[in-house]
Amino acid sequence: MNYLDCSFKINGNLKKISIIEDKTLIYVIRDELGLTGTKLGCGLEQCGSCAILIDGEKKLSCNLLAKDYQNCEITTIEGLENNDGLNNVQKAFKEFNAAQCGYCTSGIIISITALFDKNKKPSSQEIQNALNGHLCRCGSHSVVLNAIESLKEN
Amino acid sequence: MKQFNSGPSINTYNKLSHWFDFSNPGILRVYSGKIDIGQHISSTLALITSNITEIKYDQIEIIKLSTDISPDEGITASSLSVANSGSAIKAASIALKINFLNYALENLEIKNEDILFENGVIKDKNSNKTISYWDFAKTDKFKDVIIPEIFDKNSLKKINYQNNQKIELKTINEIVTGKYKYVHDINFPKMLHARIVRPPSYHCKLIKINEEFKKRLFENEITLFVKGSFVAILSLDEFLVIKFLEIAKNNIFWEEKHQLSNNNIFNSLEKHEKETLLVKSGGEAFYEEIPEKKSFDDPKIKSLSTIFKKSYLMHGPIGPSASCAIYNDNEFTVFSHSQSIFALKYSISKYFNIDPNLVTLKFMPGSGCYGHNGADDVAFEASVIAKSYPNQHILLKWTREDEHSWEPYGSASLNKVFGAINDDGEIVYWSNEAYSDTYLSRPSDVELNNFTSYKFLTNNFAKTKSKPKTSAHMGIHRNLDPIYNFKETRLVKNLVHDLPLRTSALRTLGAFANITASESFLNDLASIKNIDPFDIRINHLDDERAIDVLENLKKKMEIFKSKEDSFRGIAFSRYKNSAAYCAVGVELNVTDDLDIKLNHAWIVVDAGEIAYEDGIKAQVEGGFIQAASWTLYEEVIFDSKEIISKDWDSYKIIGFDNIPVFTTSVIDKKGSPYLGVGEVVAGPTGAAISNALCKALGQRIKILPFTKDNITKELLN
Repeated sequence: MNYLDCSFKINGNLKKISIIEDKTLIYVIRDELGLTGTKLGCGLEQCGSCAILIDGEKKLSCNLLAKDYQNCEITTIEGLENNDGLNNVQKAFKEFNAAQCGYCTSGIIISITALFDKNKKPSSQEIQNALNGHLCRCGSHSVVLNAIESLKEN
Repeated sequence: MKQFNSGPSINTYNKLSHWFDFSNPGILRVYSGKIDIGQHISSTLALITSNITEIKYDQIEIIKLSTDISPDEGITASSLSVANSGSAIKAASIALKINFLNYALENLEIKNEDILFENGVIKDKNSNKTISYWDFAKTDKFKDVIIPEIFDKNSLKKINYQNNQKIELKTINEIVTGKYKYVHDINFPKMLHARIVRPPSYHCKLIKINEEFKKRLFENEITLFVKGSFVAILSLDEFLVIKFLEIAKNNIFWEEKHQLSNNNIFNSLEKHEKETLLVKSGGEAFYEEIPEKKSFDDPKIKSLSTIFKKSYLMHGPIGPSASCAIYNDNEFTVFSHSQSIFALKYSISKYFNIDPNLVTLKFMPGSGCYGHNGADDVAFEASVIAKSYPNQHILLKWTREDEHSWEPYGSASLNKVFGAINDDGEIVYWSNEAYSDTYLSRPSDVELNNFTSYKFLTNNFAKTKSKPKTSAHMGIHRNLDPIYNFKETRLVKNLVHDLPLRTSALRTLGAFANITASESFLNDLASIKNIDPFDIRINHLDDERAIDVLENLKKKMEIFKSKEDSFRGIAFSRYKNSAAYCAVGVELNVTDDLDIKLNHAWIVVDAGEIAYEDGIKAQVEGGFIQAASWTLYEEVIFDSKEIISKDWDSYKIIGFDNIPVFTTSVIDKKGSPYLGVGEVVAGPTGAAISNALCKALGQRIKILPFTKDNITKELLN
């Protein structure tokens, strides 16, 4: 097995680790760096639970080759908090208790954060586009949508 | 409050120490035998405790279920979590408060009017002396309290609680910050990550593992575990296991003992060997002769018959099932998100033929789905592997393909319904024959073969027959008995054998199919006589609470004007005819391409006393969304060799793009028993969508899901 020395800039910290050459990013994030807030759901880019931010853009981490993202700013759910504590999306989800089991929640928060970082007043269609590809089985959708709506009002 | 019944858990656990731990100053830790599966039971239980004891919600922690310390309250299922654990904890809280107040008054030698009561501390206004719950918990009096099975009116005089409702969920801060830990996130030093190498289908015996492949595993420090036809690979590096799992598929050879089935499942449901039971009023099933279906020649009576069909459905949690197990000093510790934590303890000890006290199951959260998914299987499998690698944690995760292909599905089913209505609009005859595989194959110490891997471990591929359950509203005949006062009913349960796919408990068991069929059919009978859907229901009900939710729904729906080209449908049921009441209204549009768009959903629910209103709303809206997904999209696809729908592209579920606006109302019956709400909405949702679609198309679609293909076939028939 070939190993590769890599460095990752994740949640503002530089991490140097040796990884199996073709390791996918999600396993680096969860297993090597211990950031388990990013969830593996399908490994097929179909469910959205592994969403992270790469240079501010939402990406699904389950099939990305980790070594290709060494020079990027990677942000996971654990890195969203700012000096004031939770970011606005996290605050809204907390205020609305917008989760059931919570397994899909971090991926959704990541996508909505990416959306509102670019556009403070997204249209309903833009919100739908951001949520496209995020699956939830418990049926937390309605509360999640209410939490997102509240962000538009603020 | 009138008299209060403490519920079944108090029969076994009637001491305060069974439910409360005051060992940490200022914190009340509460035990429960129920687990968080997305329904936020821990927050609801903390709220109940807080409202009664007047200890702050923030001071209350619910202890995660562990079989060595928690009360055995059975399975977290059947909408009984608040009904059982909530009632028990409410009873324990009442007993605690009554005895604490008496103790404090006695010891401070003061009267009721001289006390200040705040955050679990009683203070004498005059002397400033205090006594707290934590002081009381150290006394023999605390130990001696026996929680009554029933509190009479007199003993409840001092319990005047405020039903506070605004809380922050216990788990929400950790969820939104990514710190909430699931089984999947467990990490122990030297922990081995495991995956199972699966054959194509249930009935395959291991023949050979390629020697070259074994060598490659060895070179990469990957361990191969083989027992019978059960094969797993293990490594310290999770990614390596995933990588080699794909390679393993081409290097392991199987002999197929039986095929799945090529036959149309609905033909099989009708034609295969079956056990047929008569279901009587009250919902119990009996081995009795089935009366002939009546026919009606009277011109004043119109009759109608229909067959409703439902495909196999999967639980489909977003995170595949997982478990972590360790075998250490002859003892097992297993972390699991199973809903049947205690049953698992006994099943695992039975399999290894050891004392159950040598097996501890600890609940850790998993991904939600409601029902018997892969959670029990994976915990059993992790234990089997752990036995061979003592003192090392084994974290076994199912893959997406495992979960989609190997979980026990909700059975496909048929309902043959026949009814007759007279000129007065009275339903004089109602026959409903349900055909389905079992909904009840949760593993237990007497049914180890209900673990999917058991046949691979034992290399015994003989087919087994499940036995019909007969108690009221169990499995296939849940809500088969209509709640309406129809003049004569004929209710038949058919447990069909030798069907192709593994099945077990999916949210509501048979109730979803039975209610969807009967509440659709009720509209069809009503329309023969041009009777309004609300009227046909209310005219056949005596129960005031049932009528109340329907009238409430009608008023709520009238407030909103229908959107252009949209159609409405309603339906009602009382879950198990003994739990919560729920009426559902739906407004939808059908596009030219036969896509169904849900505009608005109205839900009215009466679940007895409100334990936690936002929790009830989240449960019923979530239940609506899951049931709408079953109704509109879901269908397990398979051929004679294997399951075809192995991922989310081939098994479509509802997305954020078809979520209606909700108007949800909860009727409060303070002082009445808690009635669970995890399942009550599913049946009425299926039927309300079916009824709205029937209006939109002018024709009843009798096969679920309402996909373009199914609708087209029905319209062409």
